[in-house]
Amino acid sequence: MSLLRTRDVSIHFGGIAALNEVDIEVEQGEIVGLLGPNGAGKTTLFNVLSGFLKPAWGRILFQGDEISHLLPYERVAAGIGRTFQHVTLFRNLTVYENLLVAQHRHLSSGSFAAMLRLPGWRRDERDAKDRVEEILDVVNLRPWAEAHPTELSYGTTRFLELASVLSLQPKILLLDEPASGIQQKEVEALGPLLKKVRDERGCSILLIEHDMSLLLNASERIYALDFGKIIAEGTPNEVVSNDLVLESYLGRTRRATA
Amino acid sequence: MNVDVAIETKGDSPQITETFDTPPATRARGRRPTRSQLLGLASLAIISLVPVPFGDFGYFIGQYATIYAILGLSVVVVTGYAGLISLMPYSFAGIGAMATGAAMASWGWPFWLALPFAAAATVPFALFVGITSVRLKGLYLAIATLTISNALGETFFTWAPVTGGDSGHLVGRPVVGPIDFGSDLAFYLLCLGAVFVLLFMVEGLRTSRMGRAMLAVRDNELEAQALGINVAKTKLVAFVLSGMIAGLGGAFLAQLLISVTPNAFQSPFAEATSLLLVTLVAIGGMDRAIGAFVGAIALVVQQQVFNGFEFFFAFVGIYAAVVLIAFLLFRPGGLVQVGKILAALVRTRPALGISIIAIILVTNIGGAWLILSLS
Repeated sequence: MSLLRTRDVSIHFGGIAALNEVDIEVEQGEIVGLLGPNGAGKTTLFNVLSGFLKPAWGRILFQGDEISHLLPYERVAAGIGRTFQHVTLFRNLTVYENLLVAQHRHLSSGSFAAMLRLPGWRRDERDAKDRVEEILDVVNLRPWAEAHPTELSYGTTRFLELASVLSLQPKILLLDEPASGIQQKEVEALGPLLKKVRDERGCSILLIEHDMSLLLNASERIYALDFGKIIAEGTPNEVVSNDLVLESYLGRTRRATA
Repeated sequence: MNVDVAIETKGDSPQITETFDTPPATRARGRRPTRSQLLGLASLAIISLVPVPFGDFGYFIGQYATIYAILGLSVVVVTGYAGLISLMPYSFAGIGAMATGAAMASWGWPFWLALPFAAAATVPFALFVGITSVRLKGLYLAIATLTISNALGETFFTWAPVTGGDSGHLVGRPVVGPIDFGSDLAFYLLCLGAVFVLLFMVEGLRTSRMGRAMLAVRDNELEAQALGINVAKTKLVAFVLSGMIAGLGGAFLAQLLISVTPNAFQSPFAEATSLLLVTLVAIGGMDRAIGAFVGAIALVVQQQVFNGFEFFFAFVGIYAAVVLIAFLLFRPGGLVQVGKILAALVRTRPALGISIIAIILVTNIGGAWLILSLS
């Protein structure tokens, strides 16, 4: 049984099919890439998978259960974590507080417990801080713990975002262009990092990326999308040599020079 | 195909750290700065003693300031923490005051029972406001809450069995067991105790699961959802907690005024006072509990200073608007942030910092004295 599976997922924006009968499957522990030109529907697919958009029809199965009706926060609880194309984060909170917010789903104490400083709140705060301290060391963000995200370089905020979403302990990670806007050196480090995340946590990764070397390097399997339709599927080598993919994404001129 | 070029393998252990930017200069990392906390407590104690030389008049002003600080705390939760601009706080206070009035005057309940009842009475109203306006933001939310506050003035606050009709309720000062809070000093101490307890509670909320969820929703709803936060529930909790705190403030307000009449919570007083409360918290500092306390003192002091003027109310409106805009534009952290900046200045450049503080104190106290002697 695959971890995540979509069946005939379709969504229209004003007559234009943003997604058209999309069937994808992601196995446990697999790194799967999504390839396609701008407007192909990659981010729309992410929005549908993470619950930010409702598909017009089609089914989304996660660990064999239908999850189409679940709200975004419920999908996080089910084990789907996502990042956004443009780094979002919480600008008015420190890095430390940003990471504490990401602990939300592992905590349980309510407002009254906090206001009355009850033991449940104390336990929650201690657990959350312990985990954040651990994460700060793992992602090497400790020197910036008290800084605000606006004081960090774009690449560092990318890693903070990744650390936040990893704190959710997702079973599948949806990464929307993690390499966009960061330095080449950091891009090169990202591929091995994603594999490390997969190996150590056993979490599957679905990756949208325009940096071809990263996408082809990191992915074990790739789906190519164009005009909301899956036009090719296979290993990185198979997909990039597919005629339809070459036409839609890499362009014919590239093929002529190859 | 030149795909192979693209798939060349890179080194297996990435040294991501070396590509990071240089860390900012060593920061004070203490999340529990006990020294500044002690300093804060000491200044709170000193501020609490300010009314003493003024006798009963001082205590009355002190009661007024502490009750406005409680109402300000309700704004801190809903607007400061959760980022929801709500013009409901004074209406919630009115519901609390009416509940207290009905419970104590009509049903003969003791004060200690009327207090939680006042808080609980706001809950259904807060839930209604929260559920009806959960999808609204910013100005639209402000308008929606304004409308609801207005509608409550025409419905709830004209409901004679609860509000006691036009004459309202006559509420005596509280007596709890053997302790009589009838004197101004005793009631001032009771209000002071209440505001300190609530300050402690609202500050605790900030460092908790739900409090951080509110801050997250304020900053970025989308990211909050992506991190597993139930945005609708978080907003509802903010509305309910804010309503309950305002309800408690209303219970104390009823005790302060001794007689509570419903027209104090009808249009335009309800909306105007709620706006004043938002202003107060913006001046004090939106996202810290202590901001409500600082803002309430600032408000009450300037009201006393300008009290002698005929055009007082018009002036306060304009003044509040100008100060609010100035703070939102230049110091969104309010007086609390200004205080932190000055404290940092004193630490780094003591002479400059102390002289700036001296200039601020002299111009303000001097100005107040000038205005008072003119009126």
